[in-house]
Amino acid sequence: MNAPAPALWRKIDPAVATAFGCTILLLFLGSLYSSSFLSPEYLLQQLKVASFLGVIATGMMLVILLGQIDLSVPWVVAVGGMMSTAATGWGPTGEALAIPFGVACGICLGFANGFGVAYLRLPSMIVTLGVNAVAQGLMVVHTGGFSPQDSSSDAMRFIATGHTLLGIPNALIVWALVGGATVFLLSRTTFGRAIYGIGNRERAAYLSGVKTQRVVLFTFAIAGGLSAFGGILLAGYASKAAQAMGDAYLLPSIAAVVLGGASILGGRGSYIGTIAGVILITLLQSILSVIQMEEAGRQVIYGAVIIAMLLLYGREKVAR
Amino acid sequence: MGGSAAPLFQMAGVCKRYGGVRALEKADLTVEAGQIHAILGENGAGKSTLIKIMAGVVAADEGRMLLDGREVKFASPAAANQAGIVCIFQELSLVPDLSVADNISISNPPKRFGLIDRRAQRRIAEEALARAGAEDIHPLAPVKDLALSRRQMVEIAKALARNPRVLILDEATSALTAADVAKVFVVLKRLRAEGLALLYISHRMHEIAELADQCTVFRNGHNVASYRAGEKSDNEVVELMIGREYSHVFPAKPPLKPSDRPPALEVRRLAWSDRLRDISFGVRAGEVVGLGGLDGQGQRELLLALFGVLRGVSGEILIDGAPASISSPSAAKAPKIGMALIPEDRKTEGLMLPMSVSVNLSFAALDRISNRGVIDRAKERELIDHMIELLAIRTDGTNVPVGSLSGGNQQKVVIAKWLMVTPRIILLNDPTRGIDVGTKAEIYQLLRKLAATGAAILFYSTDYDELIGCCERVLVLYDGAVKRELVGDEITERALISSALNITTSGGADMASAVSA
Repeated sequence: MNAPAPALWRKIDPAVATAFGCTILLLFLGSLYSSSFLSPEYLLQQLKVASFLGVIATGMMLVILLGQIDLSVPWVVAVGGMMSTAATGWGPTGEALAIPFGVACGICLGFANGFGVAYLRLPSMIVTLGVNAVAQGLMVVHTGGFSPQDSSSDAMRFIATGHTLLGIPNALIVWALVGGATVFLLSRTTFGRAIYGIGNRERAAYLSGVKTQRVVLFTFAIAGGLSAFGGILLAGYASKAAQAMGDAYLLPSIAAVVLGGASILGGRGSYIGTIAGVILITLLQSILSVIQMEEAGRQVIYGAVIIAMLLLYGREKVAR
Repeated sequence: MGGSAAPLFQMAGVCKRYGGVRALEKADLTVEAGQIHAILGENGAGKSTLIKIMAGVVAADEGRMLLDGREVKFASPAAANQAGIVCIFQELSLVPDLSVADNISISNPPKRFGLIDRRAQRRIAEEALARAGAEDIHPLAPVKDLALSRRQMVEIAKALARNPRVLILDEATSALTAADVAKVFVVLKRLRAEGLALLYISHRMHEIAELADQCTVFRNGHNVASYRAGEKSDNEVVELMIGREYSHVFPAKPPLKPSDRPPALEVRRLAWSDRLRDISFGVRAGEVVGLGGLDGQGQRELLLALFGVLRGVSGEILIDGAPASISSPSAAKAPKIGMALIPEDRKTEGLMLPMSVSVNLSFAALDRISNRGVIDRAKERELIDHMIELLAIRTDGTNVPVGSLSGGNQQKVVIAKWLMVTPRIILLNDPTRGIDVGTKAEIYQLLRKLAATGAAILFYSTDYDELIGCCERVLVLYDGAVKRELVGDEITERALISSALNITTSGGADMASAVSA
């Protein structure tokens, strides 16, 4: 195996090992508290919940690999949820197209992000924050500021809450499909190579004849689509969309990617790391809620964890 | 003029190496008070390193520096300033959004109760500007509102505010128009009369002829001659600047077969901004054409313009006789045009250093080894192995980061990466800078081999030996235009240097006689 290392197993990254190690430690500590932490039902339930974050974090990872950031996650998630439930309310055709319609809305917002970053050369932090605000405004206009009354379609509920074989949640299968496609994209396609190349040294990639602007544009579009898809899953899980339903996903999605060892400066990171980060964050959330820590305390812990991981893994490139 | 016994500043046996490259080798320099001392030398002769050591920017490996006969060592530019050695560097160092006065006192503002004393700062600025002969500049004007020549005057005032005894000017006039240069010269001559020692570095021979009292010529990091201005003719000076032994091995140039095919690459009246003017030339398949001239005369811009990197380029580019529009590197790379550019800086433009050797090698050629965007890994593997063997790249496996290879091997990776797309037109931007002699020789052989297989090669080098050894023709650029085209036996160091300096070596006597004061 001396072909270019696949993005999944780019040797054993210490960050990935740490994240998995922390996961096991958390489970162990949880099992001291209550033995139900090790029951298959609990673990599968956690993986199901992790799938929503996993889909959203996948898009975030692609953007972070470029050396950019996507702060439009909260309201693109909400757009995905609200637009798909709205489509469900338009009769049978709408119900059938609910999922693709929601994803398409997210892709459009992603294109707006990508256009601003790639062609207008604006900092991604500003563009995506602006798109987030625009999406929020549009959704407030759409709903009149109230929780939308439409409920999600059967298909949405099926992929978010159903089980098929061996009691494996469908959401987990969906995440596995998204993840598999992403690993293929990153390791086997020219597009994936271009993402890593741009994240490492955009000028070198450009001078190598890569259409860097186009790659950035499409990466943001994919990220937008994945965020919206995450919103669709969430709406399916809760049977309906809600205002601010995506707010709880921005920081965790960034944290998951960084915990997985991806460089926040771009160009380095593997999907296995993102998986580890997502599972760790989900478990952390679950345990914090079981021991009844308040939301404010959880936010403090996320922020502190992200900064600690950046101190551990994000600095080597800066110091060079 | 140097009345006292010890010269103001002296440097003896100074050596400096960067990696394996020797920048200075036992360099000596003596600077007397009340004199303008010109430093001459071609690209890479060690002038910049010399100044950086004097100004405390870098430390010498060996040798001594004496100020007033006492040995000194500078740990930082601030320490050198303290001792009275101040340098005005090539690039302007002013902060555009601050006022003139703020800029002049930027490193050491006058303070009162721990806060900047604005009134004192203004007074210092006024005095310094008056001394620089630029009383017309308001101390509180923002620097960004000033014209380039005025900024240069602020730069000089800033240096004078530090009360220098030795003032170094590194290409300080290169951004100025002739009228501004005249004004600066008046100031410099007055400073000389005030007893300062001025070290003047310029590529413009006539400026040196007008200003200098004493000249020192550097070559290969060593001072080869020091003489009073006017003692030597331009001819002799150029002779001194050349005179290197040929240290590289160049492959023989085969005679070019006459062909009635149109040139592989032809350029007509190419222009860009004010950096490239009316450039026309052609490169035929199998030909190696050099770009010569001093550093920064538009050679880099020309290569970038051809490769589709620059916006707003006017003129025509013809490929195999047919007009082509090249709007981006990806268009230049397309099989229809088949152009490759080996960029100037391999660390930031040629390679992605943390990524593996194999990813870097195949990066430009991915569209040739993929099917609908999916990479054919067997084909990739095969091509990578082929390239590593072809260029004899020494690497510890193909999965190590390319940044762990030596400079020469990194450069080979850059070249190999572009050979993987089998280009027909190859542009090289100073490809042998900072690499060892052995790898250089391999690159020369490779260029010849590529030309023999029908590639058209355009080769910019700052090393004149390379241009002589590798090229059938050399275009010498000066100020963004092709000043001269040298063909075959005409390519000599003397011809390259004199056309690079834009002088005619035979008729330089009148200039020299005009100076002898």
